[in-house]
Amino acid sequence: MAHPPKRQHSLVWLQGLGCGAVVTLAPGFAALLGALLAPGLLALMLDREPGHPMARCVLLMGMATCVPPIEALWSSGQTLAAAMNLLGDFQVLGTAWIAAAAGWLLAEAAPLGSRLVLEALARSRAARLRARRQELVEAWGFDSTGEE
Amino acid sequence: MASPADLIAGRYAVDLAAPMPACGGGLSAFGAIDQTTGDDGFVAVQVQRQAPARAFALQILTRPIDGLLSPLAHGRAPGPLGKAGYFVICHTPPGMPLAAQLHPWPEAALLEQFLRPAALVLEQLQASGLTHRAIRLNNLFQAGPGHPVVLGQAWAAPPAMHQPAVYEPPYSGACLPAGRGAGTTADDVYALGIALLSLALGRVPLAELDEVTVVRRKLERGSYAALAAEERLPPAITDLVRGMLAEDPEHRPTPTLLLDPAAARGRRVAARPPRHAQRPLTIAGTPTWDARTLANAIAVEPEQGLHALRNGTAELWLRRELGDAGLASRIEDLLRHRLGETGAEETRSDAILTMRAVSLLDPLAPLCWRGLNMWPDGLGPVLAAAQDSDPSSMTKLEELIVTEAISQWAGGRPDRCDFPMLRVEARQNRAWLTTRGLAGGLPRLLYALNPLLPCLSPLTATRWVARLTEVLPALEEAVAANPKLRPIDPHIAAFIAARTERGLDGELNALSAPKAAIAESAQYRLLAQMQARLHRQPLPALAAWLAEQTRPMVQQWYNRARRVELEQRLGELAQSGLLAPMLALVEDPIGRNADAQAAQVAAAELARIEEELAQIAAGGPQRTAQGLRFGQELAAGVGLTVLAAVLAIAALS
Repeated sequence: MAHPPKRQHSLVWLQGLGCGAVVTLAPGFAALLGALLAPGLLALMLDREPGHPMARCVLLMGMATCVPPIEALWSSGQTLAAAMNLLGDFQVLGTAWIAAAAGWLLAEAAPLGSRLVLEALARSRAARLRARRQELVEAWGFDSTGEE
Repeated sequence: MASPADLIAGRYAVDLAAPMPACGGGLSAFGAIDQTTGDDGFVAVQVQRQAPARAFALQILTRPIDGLLSPLAHGRAPGPLGKAGYFVICHTPPGMPLAAQLHPWPEAALLEQFLRPAALVLEQLQASGLTHRAIRLNNLFQAGPGHPVVLGQAWAAPPAMHQPAVYEPPYSGACLPAGRGAGTTADDVYALGIALLSLALGRVPLAELDEVTVVRRKLERGSYAALAAEERLPPAITDLVRGMLAEDPEHRPTPTLLLDPAAARGRRVAARPPRHAQRPLTIAGTPTWDARTLANAIAVEPEQGLHALRNGTAELWLRRELGDAGLASRIEDLLRHRLGETGAEETRSDAILTMRAVSLLDPLAPLCWRGLNMWPDGLGPVLAAAQDSDPSSMTKLEELIVTEAISQWAGGRPDRCDFPMLRVEARQNRAWLTTRGLAGGLPRLLYALNPLLPCLSPLTATRWVARLTEVLPALEEAVAANPKLRPIDPHIAAFIAARTERGLDGELNALSAPKAAIAESAQYRLLAQMQARLHRQPLPALAAWLAEQTRPMVQQWYNRARRVELEQRLGELAQSGLLAPMLALVEDPIGRNADAQAAQVAAAELARIEEELAQIAAGGPQRTAQGLRFGQELAAGVGLTVLAAVLAIAALS
């Protein structure tokens, strides 16, 4: 007897509750992270592929650039003003967003590159096989269609 | 000067420029020279191609006999008109043949210069188990008046083949010339008696009559009565001739007795005169007066004779006109046994009936088979003579052999022949005849029964191939002249089969294999084996032929490089003219197995390659998906690594 498929429950409301809690309890961190990770969050919304590979890469790169500003916010009192002050520094925001862009670029280029590598390997293997086939045909006189 | 290859027995050279027609007893003869001594006192008597020399006599007569032209050697040498020839070498006769200087001889000369010397020779021949069978005036020689007569050679043709019928007893004169067989010493005594009579008369009696008439007259009247009854002869000669021409060979004096003419003259054997009919029975227009003439008439005209037998005319005539109720009853019994057979067997049955009836009517008569008369040991020469020239006789002879008629004939007269031996021989002949394939049949029988018959294949027509060792050189010459010839034909195969002792049986049997490839291969192996055993000389023409023929076998190898290598090696070996290494190279079962196995491995590898190439060709989308997945994972991994590195730096600073 087949079991009925499990019902998928939406966790959006729980994520919204979490975000609201963070905004309420640590508005400085929330503002800083929201601004720095804005490209990642945007990518998360736009990336419809299973596992969100592009958004995942953008977010990871963005998160790597968030570490020094968060350290700076922590040491400057964790206030919303300090966060705004940090956000006012173009280098902080620019670095985060450039890193996000690099993540996006990496997510787009890596599949293309690996596909090119795989294709090259396959062609190389096929060339070796054809050479061997030609050797066998010439040595033994087999009939070969040569079709692939 | 003749080349060593043209010398007979390595010493005798035939001088074709010196024909000696009077010395051959009717056969072509030439002068011969002993190259080792320079002595030219020899005569080379030429053997005809389809009338082989007497192998047994040539083998037995190793010592010369005084008063006889004994064979000194025999072998092949160039013959007249540039053709190959075979000659028997004897001493040159001491003078001209008696036929060339025929005149009446006085009684003393007949006894001392003719009868005694000839009887002495016959006695010695008899002691060796031989007969002469060529005693006739053109084969008897005398150095001059007062010298003893010398018997000519009798070895260069089948026994009695060239004897006129007058010199032969009726039972031999009625036979085919080649089928008279070796006979007995009594037959020589009969011929001696005719020669004695001729010398006494100064002419040959009945010389003006044809052979059939001579035989019939002898049968009708008896030999002595037909030839000498009306002649005036010295009483001693009359008595001797009467005894020597006795109808029954057992009644004739022996050579030992003839050495003492007085004793021979005094020996009288009372032979019962044959019954004579009141009225003749006519067979095919020939009136017959007694049982022997009836037998002869049936033998000569078998269809008419059979008619007379089947409709009872002959039996009635025997009973009423001849008054021989016993013979009539035996004929009646024979007919009763044979009348029931019909259909395909009828023809053979008729022939057997005729043969048995003749044998009953005349126990001295030869074997008669559908008009062919012969003695069993004359079968081989008869086959040789009829070969290629008389297909009708060949068909009849084939029937004779298949039905083992000789055995049946001998069974009807066991007291006058060696029945068990003839039965064995008849079975052996039939076995050879019925052997299938190239090495069997009539050719095989022909060569088996004629040990000195040369190979009659068209391939060896320019040579005289009488021995196995001479086959390959002849084939080499034939193939060199025409490379498209096939060197093994039925005559060649049968000749090899008949002459070989052992060791080639496998190849010879395989010649008749149903699969053409096996039979072909057997031919190649046969040639190679013969070269290895009998003729260790290069045979470049045959080797080239073999290389051409085995090319398809080379193509059967799978590996192309090996094929090329084999062809090159085959060409090298062909130039060396050695057949066995060529065949070993081409056949090479171990190499072929390895080649086949390697081919299987290669085929499997090729299949795998084809499959993998097909997979690669069809794997584009799969590789795209795989590349996408891998790229995404790679990007994620890079991002994670960067994050970890930043966190690690932050933790350490």
